[in-house]
Amino acid sequence: MKVAVLAKEVPDLEAAVKVVDGGGALDIEKRRVLNFFDEIAVEAALKLKEGNDAEVYAVSAGAGWGIEALRRALAMGVPTAYLIDDPALENSDSLTVARALAAFVGEEGFDLIIGGRQATDDEAGLVGPMVAQVLDIPYVVGVVSLEAEEGAVVVARETEAGRETLRVPLPALVTAEKGLVEPRMPAVTGVMKAMKAQIDRKTLADLGVEADEALPVSGYSPPPKRGGVKMISGEPVEQAKELVRLLKEEAKAL
Amino acid sequence: MSIWVLCEGAGDHYRSSTYELLSEARKLAGSDTTALVVGDDAAFKDKLAGLAGKVVVLAGDNLSPYSAESWIGAIAPVLEEETPALVLCGEGQRTRDILPALAARLDVAAITNAIGLRQEGDAFIVHRPVQGGKAYADYSVSGSCLVAFRPNSFLPDAPADLATTEEERAVSAPASRVELVDSVVEEGKRVDITEAQVVACGGRGMKNAENLKLLDELGTMLGGTYGVTRAIVDAGWEGADHSIQVGKSGKTISPALYFGCGISGIIHHTMGMDTSKVIVAVNTDPEAPIFEYADYGIVGDALQVLPAIIEEIKQLKASA
Repeated sequence: MKVAVLAKEVPDLEAAVKVVDGGGALDIEKRRVLNFFDEIAVEAALKLKEGNDAEVYAVSAGAGWGIEALRRALAMGVPTAYLIDDPALENSDSLTVARALAAFVGEEGFDLIIGGRQATDDEAGLVGPMVAQVLDIPYVVGVVSLEAEEGAVVVARETEAGRETLRVPLPALVTAEKGLVEPRMPAVTGVMKAMKAQIDRKTLADLGVEADEALPVSGYSPPPKRGGVKMISGEPVEQAKELVRLLKEEAKAL
Repeated sequence: MSIWVLCEGAGDHYRSSTYELLSEARKLAGSDTTALVVGDDAAFKDKLAGLAGKVVVLAGDNLSPYSAESWIGAIAPVLEEETPALVLCGEGQRTRDILPALAARLDVAAITNAIGLRQEGDAFIVHRPVQGGKAYADYSVSGSCLVAFRPNSFLPDAPADLATTEEERAVSAPASRVELVDSVVEEGKRVDITEAQVVACGGRGMKNAENLKLLDELGTMLGGTYGVTRAIVDAGWEGADHSIQVGKSGKTISPALYFGCGISGIIHHTMGMDTSKVIVAVNTDPEAPIFEYADYGIVGDALQVLPAIIEEIKQLKASA
């Protein structure tokens, strides 16, 4: 079985974000990491490598970024990583990214594609299912268990009503939800190896993909300012009385 | 200019987000609002009378039980033919299944996790948080676009007085390649946390699993539910399931009233609740970041303050 992992590089959640140019752009501190859910995807792929002798590779797409994410995947134990690196990805839409990833895995070959449920920066959850649609393969979003069978994977996911188990014939795509597996910490030797690893690059032209622009942003704004916190002092019983009064009379929330 | 809303059933009614989105669509498109109903969700289509100019029901094989692949196969040709300016969906699992692949198939723009919508000239402006809520972006939409909105983004307050026509369309949907092996419905599942109007959340400051019943009691008595932080889900507390985890690796909620009890308020949690309308924080540490998000703050032990709040609300209800 051949497993492709989609690995997105995102700003660390702790990175500072500032609205600049009068709302025209964001200035994001350069602390970049492998997306939280993609790290789970990497671990799930490594489990298939160890338990089912799967061949695993990771691929990322960026406009001058992606290497950090791929080095993390390599350090965790993914043997090979590829980067689709093209300046047009700076301001392309999600479907362009999906087409590029689909074209790449189509060339490289795969039985199963594992991505994350969403990226922590834009929380959009678009690219995974879009890749499946472009490749016309079945997919399941947000899986919390994954078992390989002959020619299929059996996955589970939480639903609004409970839990469901699904069998997906290969080739297929799944996206990882928290709880699927716990990502390992890379060993020092893994980190050393990742630093030296050769990461092959492709451009959109190499893959025969034309970039479509993302929707224009007419403006960025900082988070709305709340009115400031009103602190309520006193003993618990007094605090509760005052809080309930404020929620009822002032906030009209009760 | 027409706006369609993909209605989503839950049990024997539509999710509250369906009503919100139909209301918002009526404000912008008036009688050019179309409610799109697929498969079994048509069972209670009477509830849509007055809420849309038209109800379009898609009927055919393979639509029940729900599967993303079959539904996309049914919906795509209809949208291709009708080309509405916007298709609105409520954020949630089904939307995350359908919307991205549907957008790819139709080659139209897609936005998820949106919280605001307005018209500016010929364009629609879609408002959504980015970078974990550290900034907000206004996307300018002038072509067709599929947009998913967080529940509780809009008040469903537009008049529901449209003359509603109904159109049933026979569609041929492909069988899903994904096979449903087993489906477990959990009995007594609570109010859906993403749609709840009141959510009482707890973190490590709740001390132990037993105390989560205080949150449950508070949330439930106000018609809502309770939620938890990642820390106590990962610690394996009973009653702290991932399905009610709020934050980066859990659910995103936007209730009218949020209580954060024994929660410090790191971004991993706040990005899942920072669009709540009214925020109450209870924490022993006056420096806890949660107070920066709060409207009302109490420095104190949640285990002492919560029972007092519950008692006070009981009295309020008794006197009402």
